[in-house]
Amino acid sequence: MIDTVQVQSDDRTLVRIRGLTTVLNGKTVFDKLDLDIPRGKVTAIMGPSGTGKTTLLKHITGQMRPDAGEVSVDGRNVAALSREALFELRERIGYLFQNSALLTDFDVFENVAFPLRQHTKLPEVLIRNIVLTKLQAVGLRGAASLTPAELSGGMARRVALARAIVFDPMLILYDEPFVGLDPIALNQVLKLIRTLNETLGLTSVLVAHELEAIKQVADHVYLIANGKVVAQGDPKTIANDGSPWTSQFFGGNADGPVPFQYPADDYAQALGFKQGAA
Amino acid sequence: MSARMEHENIVVGSLAQIGRCGLFLLRILSAIPLSMRHVRETVRQLWFVGAMSLTIIMTCGLFVGMVLGLQLYHVLAIFGGTSATGSVVALAVYRELGPVVTALLFAGRAGTSITAEIGLMRATDQIAAMEMMAVDPIAYVIAPRFLAGLIAMPLLCCVFCGLSIFGGHIVAVDWLRVDNGTFWSNMTATVDVWDDVINGIIWKSVVFGAVVSLIAVFQGYTTPPTSEGVAYATTRTVVTSSIAILALDFVLTAFLM
Repeated sequence: MIDTVQVQSDDRTLVRIRGLTTVLNGKTVFDKLDLDIPRGKVTAIMGPSGTGKTTLLKHITGQMRPDAGEVSVDGRNVAALSREALFELRERIGYLFQNSALLTDFDVFENVAFPLRQHTKLPEVLIRNIVLTKLQAVGLRGAASLTPAELSGGMARRVALARAIVFDPMLILYDEPFVGLDPIALNQVLKLIRTLNETLGLTSVLVAHELEAIKQVADHVYLIANGKVVAQGDPKTIANDGSPWTSQFFGGNADGPVPFQYPADDYAQALGFKQGAA
Repeated sequence: MSARMEHENIVVGSLAQIGRCGLFLLRILSAIPLSMRHVRETVRQLWFVGAMSLTIIMTCGLFVGMVLGLQLYHVLAIFGGTSATGSVVALAVYRELGPVVTALLFAGRAGTSITAEIGLMRATDQIAAMEMMAVDPIAYVIAPRFLAGLIAMPLLCCVFCGLSIFGGHIVAVDWLRVDNGTFWSNMTATVDVWDDVINGIIWKSVVFGAVVSLIAVFQGYTTPPTSEGVAYATTRTVVTSSIAILALDFVLTAFLM
């Protein structure tokens, strides 16, 4: 698996990140980050909260510009694209938002149909068929006439997933796709991600915390911490590679290279105890 | 920070905000051709900000006309000029009260809801989702609302003026026994189509429509995506719009006179 990632040929790498440096509000989020996302594979990006996993997705889609370095998708430098070219690229990218981001003005059907209506002039019958197929895939064909307000969090996420794949994109970015899903829905979504990858040959990037789920679906895992890739490899073995990063992260330990505590002054002092008093 | 520096900061901040608002207007104007693809959305917004505001505009128009009729009748009675009630009501409504009160009501009724809606769309990532689906939110969300406000305001103003004249007529003619023929003939004799109707209703309300809609969409689009941010933005829409309407009214009147 690692071999496929390290291949440098343009054909096999869809997203190439080189020397990415991002500073947000004085805090360095990425520090010369290098990362490759191979075509046709499921790549998972993991890391402690606040390491900028969502920010990384925003760089890939051009929602944010890097302070230094380059992010290229399908051979094109995202930051250098004009707005039209960027929109053209985004038409081929599906993006699943952390909070689903369904349009509250429309019902479920129209939400999924939205990208089709905006970018194509397909006949109504065809739009209906495509939308119902995608909704069937996420198990919500029967919910087509509900409004987003009537959906639970997990259902909204599945609708958002249907919307993200309605255009059969070349690249799908999933931002925390497993949050709020019950085990049945989780299993179906995992199968769906895998099936989409295998049947349509598209490339998937997953940002998630659930190692068990990732083991089932991902081909390769990147562990990001302190603005760099600190570990990468096969999801089934990465937890046991022996590095302090992976053993802390996957072992769930408070102590290790990643501080659990947000930087703060002395605890005893903050509570009003005198230094040294037992 | 000294008081003087603080004042300077407020002035610079306000000027910067006006500048940003102007640039935002340019973005909207440049997105209007693209938004023509979303005519249905513009019509939907027109229904929402226009048709849904009719009740408040009609009710207020009626009462403004009635109170004008009542006040003017008694003032004019002192000079024995009650026959002029109709023309004075009409002039006051066409020149000032119609466009100004309609714009103030519109800012409170439609402006606030536009700001809150766009602010919440931003807070719930709907704007970002459109960007990600390669749909320009300026063309799809902002421009239709701006256009709807621009079109709705003159129409609402006409309705307001009509109901005001009707209210004035009820009080003056039906209740206070001003002669019906005198009421109308004096009005038609003094009201000039170009000076009073076109300049008053059309020009002023088009300008007010543009200003209120611009402030509403700008505040919504630039609000911090929090509940507090949306609350502040909604308040600012009403406050800024009201000041802008009354100040611009003076400027427009001075130029149009």
